[in-house]
Amino acid sequence: MEIRGKGAKAPRAPFTPYPPYPLYPFKMIELQNVSKSYRTDTIETLALQHMNLSVPAGEFLSIMGPSGCGKSTLLNIMGLIDEPTEGSVSLAGKEVTSYNGTKVARFRNEQLGFIFQSFHLINDLSVVDNVELPLLYRRVGTKERRRLSLEALEHVGLSNRAGHFPTQLSGGQKQRVAIARAIVGRPNIILADEPTGNLDSHMGDEIMDILTRLNTDLGTTIVMVTHDERMAKKTHRLVRLSDGERVS
Amino acid sequence: MLNHLLKLMWNKRRANGLIFLEILLAFVVLFGVYAFGFYNLERYSSPLGFSYENSVGVHMDLPDDMDSVAVERLQERILRETRELPGVASATFLGPVNPFGGNTWSTGSDDNGFHLQTMMVFADENYAETLALEFREGRWFTEADQAGKYEPIVVNGKFIDEYYPTRASMIDSIIQINGEKKIVGVVDNYKYHSNFAENRPLTFFSPRSWKADGQNPFEQLIVRAEPGQTAAIEEPIYNLLSSLTKNPDVVIWNMAEDRIKANRPVVIPLVILISISAFLLINIALGLFGVLFTQISHRRAEIGLRKAMGATPAEVTTQFVVEVVLVTLAGLLLGTFFAIQVPLLELLPIPAKFFYLGIGAAVATILLIVVLCALIPSRQAAGLQPALVLHEQ
Repeated sequence: MEIRGKGAKAPRAPFTPYPPYPLYPFKMIELQNVSKSYRTDTIETLALQHMNLSVPAGEFLSIMGPSGCGKSTLLNIMGLIDEPTEGSVSLAGKEVTSYNGTKVARFRNEQLGFIFQSFHLINDLSVVDNVELPLLYRRVGTKERRRLSLEALEHVGLSNRAGHFPTQLSGGQKQRVAIARAIVGRPNIILADEPTGNLDSHMGDEIMDILTRLNTDLGTTIVMVTHDERMAKKTHRLVRLSDGERVS
Repeated sequence: MLNHLLKLMWNKRRANGLIFLEILLAFVVLFGVYAFGFYNLERYSSPLGFSYENSVGVHMDLPDDMDSVAVERLQERILRETRELPGVASATFLGPVNPFGGNTWSTGSDDNGFHLQTMMVFADENYAETLALEFREGRWFTEADQAGKYEPIVVNGKFIDEYYPTRASMIDSIIQINGEKKIVGVVDNYKYHSNFAENRPLTFFSPRSWKADGQNPFEQLIVRAEPGQTAAIEEPIYNLLSSLTKNPDVVIWNMAEDRIKANRPVVIPLVILISISAFLLINIALGLFGVLFTQISHRRAEIGLRKAMGATPAEVTTQFVVEVVLVTLAGLLLGTFFAIQVPLLELLPIPAKFFYLGIGAAVATILLIVVLCALIPSRQAAGLQPALVLHEQ
């Protein structure tokens, strides 16, 4: 999906539900033999080793494992914000391993939504301006941008906080703003890196409910890294990593 | 995108206050230096209107105990024998207002109810030839003019432009300047104070006017040497004049050196101001570098986030450059508002165009420096790896 030009409109209604999983069996994410190593002057650290993973469209997948096992590295590679040392990555049916510069930026903008443990909201921008960010880089016109952002905020139950600044929100509210920002561009894939990690269990449950609804109502493919077994059980499938390798 | 950045900058206005202030102050200083510089540059680039090269000025004391006829004969002899010296091309007597000497004489007069104000120079018939004056029309006065009905005068172009702009020619016109005078010639320029002097209305009076005024005889001489002979003629001139006047008080100076001295009152402040401005600009550049590098190190997570949201490296670079340019433009806008009051309210006696030029040049210089200083840190920001910076927090 590509929306460009002033006043450009989304080709489909932003939150029209997809048929629920598993009616879309094509592979939204496919990693083949992906390895990642970090090299310093003296040592080479293997973060991921020969990882193979397929995520069908509409699946809600969780990834668990001890700290340093390569969960975030895997998520970063799926999100095209890190490059594998070897192997290939296909997203939404496209081989994207060789994408770089502007092409990878555009692909990220159109196909991927990110949710981070520490929210990563810009404190100098209001809630609605934070949510607008992905649409800004898609050259969506001002009015359309505002309409879609308010709609996304409504979806996470925060439309009454549109004019507030992140510093005026609780942790749970911040994460809901981050979710609104992740879904405003209607990406096919949402990558969530410990989205409940900084929240208490009640807030965490609220966020999980929103993510589950996104997945069931909209059919968005979600990959979530978590340390919380209870949250992982709410997803369709759990992948466990250890020392950069898939163990289940 | 511009709206987004304007909003962001407005929300960060306190953080950007110091850059704004720095830009504003730099603009005010640069505006002043540019306006002053352009004004003087234009004056420097307008021709002096006479030749000072290969020339020396000479001051002598003529004997006090001689009658006027004897003094005239002595002057004629001085002139003749000086011209006969080897290496001398020309010589002329003049009154106390000599080129680059720093003296100013002026007079005001009513010409048919029309007020004239003019600078005064007194010189003999050889002056135009010795100083290679360039004429707009007419000629220099001759010995024959000394016996005519009217005292002859030569004026400069500024005199005509200011007082008789509609007249096709003023040659042979009789005007009132300390009595009736006949204009026999109009020279283009004659900036005798310095290269930076303003071209003001000026009148050359002949020895006839000088005598009529009851003044002491001319005691200054300008001697033009053949090329390369300037230093060589100084000693023979001294020997000749001290012998003829029977007085060793003969002072000789090089007119080229005198010109440099005469320019100093403008050149020195200008050099100081330019040095201060250059220092200021270097400070601004270093300050901006520092501020931008600090901002970028504080905003690494934001940069990573923007890249994750789909910002291309070019968009990240553009964002940081535009952000600093927006703050700069705000400072320049306020600075321009203040600066433009100077020509509008005619606060200084300098033509308005130099202030407008000063505003334009100051704006262009500051914007150029700001963009150049913003580019390096901004490109560095664009190169940050989102995976790395997003996990730093």
